[in-house]
Amino acid sequence: MRQEILRRLRATRGRGRKLRGMAVLLRPYRGRVIAMFAALLVATAATLAPPPLAKLAIDDGITPGNVTVLYWTVAAFLASALILWGATWLQTYLVGWVGQRALQDLRIEVFGHLQRMSIGFYSRRRSGVLISRLTNDVEALDQLVSDGVVTLFQSTLTVIGTIVILFWLDAELAALTMLAVPLLLLGSLGFRIASADAYRITRERIALITAYLQETLSGVRVVRAFGREARHLKQFAKLNDDNRAANMKTVNLNAAYFPAVELLSALVTVAILLYGGYQAINDQVTVGVLVAFITALNTFFDPIQQLSQLYTTYQSGMAALDKIFELLDEQPDLVDAPNAVELGRLRGEIAFEDVAFRYAGQDQWALCDTDLHVPPGQTVALVGATGAGKSTLAKLVARFYDPDRGRVLVDGHDLRTVTSQSLRSQMGIVPQEAFLFSGTVRENIVFGKPEATLTEVREAAAAVGADGFITELEDGYDTEVGERGVQLSAGQRQLIAFARALIADPRILVLDEATSNVDIHTEGQIERGLRRLLAGRTAIVIAHRLSTIRQAGRIVVLEHGNVVEQGTHDELIAAEGAYFRLYRDWAEQAAA
Amino acid sequence: MAVFWRLLGFLRPYRKGVIASAVLAALAMGATVLLPYLIGTAIDETTAGSADTHNANAWTDHKGYLTFVAIMIVITAMLRLALTVARRLVAGRVSLGVEVDLRQRLYDHLQSLELGFFDRQQTGQLMSRATVDLQSVRFFLGYGLIFIMQSALTIVLAAVAMFFVDPGLAAIALAPVPVVIVIAWRYGRRARPAQQEVQQRIAELTADAEENVSGVRVIKAFAREQVQLHRFRQSVARVFEQAMIATRVQAFYTPAIGFLPNLGLAAILLFGGLSVIHGSLSIGDFSAFYTYLLMLISPMRTLGYMLGTAQRATASGRRVFQILDRPTAMPVPEDAPPLPDGAGRVELRDVTLRYEGTTQPALRDVSLAVEAGTTVALVGPTASGKTTLVSLIPRLYDPTSGSVLVDGADVRTVEPRSLRRQIALVTDDPFLFSASVHENIAYAKPDATRDEVVAAARRAQAHAFVTELPDGYDTMIGERGLTVSGGQRQRLAIARAILADPRILILDDATSSVDASTEQLIKRALAEVMRGRTTFVIAHRLSTITLADEVVVLERGQITARGTHDELLEQSALYREIVEKGLPDQVFLNRAPTEAVGL
Repeated sequence: MRQEILRRLRATRGRGRKLRGMAVLLRPYRGRVIAMFAALLVATAATLAPPPLAKLAIDDGITPGNVTVLYWTVAAFLASALILWGATWLQTYLVGWVGQRALQDLRIEVFGHLQRMSIGFYSRRRSGVLISRLTNDVEALDQLVSDGVVTLFQSTLTVIGTIVILFWLDAELAALTMLAVPLLLLGSLGFRIASADAYRITRERIALITAYLQETLSGVRVVRAFGREARHLKQFAKLNDDNRAANMKTVNLNAAYFPAVELLSALVTVAILLYGGYQAINDQVTVGVLVAFITALNTFFDPIQQLSQLYTTYQSGMAALDKIFELLDEQPDLVDAPNAVELGRLRGEIAFEDVAFRYAGQDQWALCDTDLHVPPGQTVALVGATGAGKSTLAKLVARFYDPDRGRVLVDGHDLRTVTSQSLRSQMGIVPQEAFLFSGTVRENIVFGKPEATLTEVREAAAAVGADGFITELEDGYDTEVGERGVQLSAGQRQLIAFARALIADPRILVLDEATSNVDIHTEGQIERGLRRLLAGRTAIVIAHRLSTIRQAGRIVVLEHGNVVEQGTHDELIAAEGAYFRLYRDWAEQAAA
Repeated sequence: MAVFWRLLGFLRPYRKGVIASAVLAALAMGATVLLPYLIGTAIDETTAGSADTHNANAWTDHKGYLTFVAIMIVITAMLRLALTVARRLVAGRVSLGVEVDLRQRLYDHLQSLELGFFDRQQTGQLMSRATVDLQSVRFFLGYGLIFIMQSALTIVLAAVAMFFVDPGLAAIALAPVPVVIVIAWRYGRRARPAQQEVQQRIAELTADAEENVSGVRVIKAFAREQVQLHRFRQSVARVFEQAMIATRVQAFYTPAIGFLPNLGLAAILLFGGLSVIHGSLSIGDFSAFYTYLLMLISPMRTLGYMLGTAQRATASGRRVFQILDRPTAMPVPEDAPPLPDGAGRVELRDVTLRYEGTTQPALRDVSLAVEAGTTVALVGPTASGKTTLVSLIPRLYDPTSGSVLVDGADVRTVEPRSLRRQIALVTDDPFLFSASVHENIAYAKPDATRDEVVAAARRAQAHAFVTELPDGYDTMIGERGLTVSGGQRQRLAIARAILADPRILILDDATSSVDASTEQLIKRALAEVMRGRTTFVIAHRLSTITLADEVVVLERGQITARGTHDELLEQSALYREIVEKGLPDQVFLNRAPTEAVGL
């Protein structure tokens, strides 16, 4: 229980790092930040002005009947109201501007940092977590910036200012008021601790509802086909009810807390009235002081309450900042060497020299002591069981990882000595599951060569046999695809990925052949597209189709991270080794 | 306005709660208004007391009366506490109740709408009705309405009290009130849409970020980091622009709303002060006046703002009603009988189907009778109507003309759930729910034991890989769980169909993305499962076609040939072409499962 309370109370770590980080973010906007704080200061001062002015008007103007003083104070009152207007306008605008600009910079910085990280980094981290740095965590900060900064600053100033005014008005009454402060602080903190989890749970529950809704809408065909509507209705009703229960808890907490604060404020007013009243009757305080005091009390309890309300926003904002800086502090692990050379036009020769590699945190070598030489223009088919090291070998060619031992060479250059830009711009990589970005078909095809003309795009699409179905799409090459556009079949996505690789005209092609569910016509097209794509370039293909394997200039058979056999289809069949056994098993199955 | 009254109708089940919270709010307001009056009295008493210092008796009287007023204030404050607590509890229950009701109504209705509706609607659109629109409606019905009543009541009561004390001064002091309400109302109307647009753009930014993280391999492969960063920069700038629009709205309205009440206060100070000096107003009345106006500031803002949200809630309500009012295009007759017993004979009679919004029919005059227990393979090019044909059997769509009969009963005349319970569907891209493997397999039969689930998984050749998952059959899969490969998804879908034990089985190219050895195993399992059931197979592979008793060739929505494999090789040119040229290569080697880091 004690631990639980401590957990909920705990502030975040690394205050120094966060302050430095924030200072860096705000430095470019120094001028506006200073103006913002000035506006905040003036606005707060203007908010505090009315009670003392009212007191002045009553005690020195109205009670003694001095009209001149009354006029002047009313004029001052109006002036302070006008200043308040102007300062609030400026403050709202500047806080919005500076805060949003800083968040914008932070988003870009995190994004840029993520882009610099290696593929190895992405395979160690869950993508959901990385995305949440860019989204949820920045959001939490956004909340702190847009709600928090003004409240934090203004409430603190208001509290301090009000305390000064109260003591200036009457020290004894002020001291009496201060007795209520610990009570309010304790109550507010207790409320925060109790409600922090309650609010978090309501957010989680509504997120569950949204996710469930999303899922049953996307899966509506399955729901209908199995006639399971009733069950989903029941489950949804349960989620809905859980959400209600979670919210009810916050309603109960709020119902207990907010009226209690109002009561406290009323009780303090009574105490002041009673005590101050006796004193006024005894002529120890003036009535004006009493009125001003009670007016000032109004502006005293609100900010204290607001400050304690801010506690959770502050805490989650700081936690988010922690996580963001933690990510930013992580160094990119696969960067270009300082003296890396630009590769010229490649011939496309690939060599592996005694290459050994294992994935971080794994004991097993994914590749061990691999030697391989691929002359320019040859197609190599990698063949082997799952986990034999086919995709690892392909990834090392693209320098998604660096080998632990040995060297990977392209045209005689060790990949660690060349710039990744010049390497990858001459390398086409076609993954098994074709990933398309949201955007038009055309934008996806020109991904590797943004300056390509529409004619080039059409030629590339036609060459791999994608032109036909693309022109039949609603807007042809300008049809939106990806999450926010039309749904393409796996085969169609594959063909677009081929066109994307072809238009980039890579010297080296790394291709993970897909055997996904495509219809008969598309299947034939993919085969033809593939042939067109492979022509005239060095290619490493993780092969699944017999036709591809047969056409390859060389077949490399991998087992447990070792190259066990190399040669053409006919040579390997004649050798009656590992490849022969794989082929025989397949033939038997196919005949069954 | 009709929409507005209809929205109010949702409060009907909570009539008592609404009335109770209104009464409680009114009483609490009464207490709130009473407090300044009592404070004013106390101050007057004090002023009188300090004037009477020399008269010992009167002095004690004043002190005694002051104590009495103080006790009254305490009692009023306590009363207000009790009333407010009760009001909050009751109103909170009403608001949450309305939200739950509305959301359930919407979900119920969505579940009853025909499938064609979902083809034409974007999921995102529906989601925003169920979340954003629903929220603004419930906020208004649950809190807004009470706030409007409470604020209006406060203003009226305070105004009456002020007019009672000094009509002239009251008129001056209250002059800014309507202006504040109008400005706040405009703010309430403009602020939220601007803020929602910010949220919309942030959602786009999130999608962008997601895409860039998921597609990082492609980005790296094409060395496109800089370009993607540039694109992301633009998305971020779009968020900034809209956030500044929202900020400007806020910067324009908030200070104005804050300024106007100060004008009223200044007026009271000046004119009220002059009245006190001229002796036509007591200092106590004056301070009560001042306090009343202070008290009015927040209700003025609230009233205006809430009127703005009321307007928005009406707009949201209109969008929600658009869905709720949409009748289902697939009506089921009252007390439709369940599907009669039978062995699963299927017949299509002159069926034509044209999807809404298309010109070409997807099926044209198709007649087909399939005897119970036989297996039919449907073969044909893309968009020849294969999927459409099988969708008609579980009545996912209704034909434009013609009829579909299962065991002699027109599917439109029977209770749809009883029909669909007898049909299992395995699509080419099976959808799994975010639930455990067990729950996904037992989808059609939630009370299935673990043994039954395991048996079904074994028959679908899924048992081996399931046991290798981190938590076996309790592993969470789907969107919010572990990602399984296409082949694994299909085997789970087959297991799901096996456990459903249907009369009719529909397989849509279900064995295409598993490796050769698994395909063989599944083929055997399917042969066993198909026994005694009517099966429709949308086939793309020869090996699947060989499972069928009969092959039906579809072209442009029409059946162009029927017969056994051998007969069709002789009769149908298209079929020969498909078999000879079109049928894909057999998958040769073990296909690597989709790893976390694919290439």
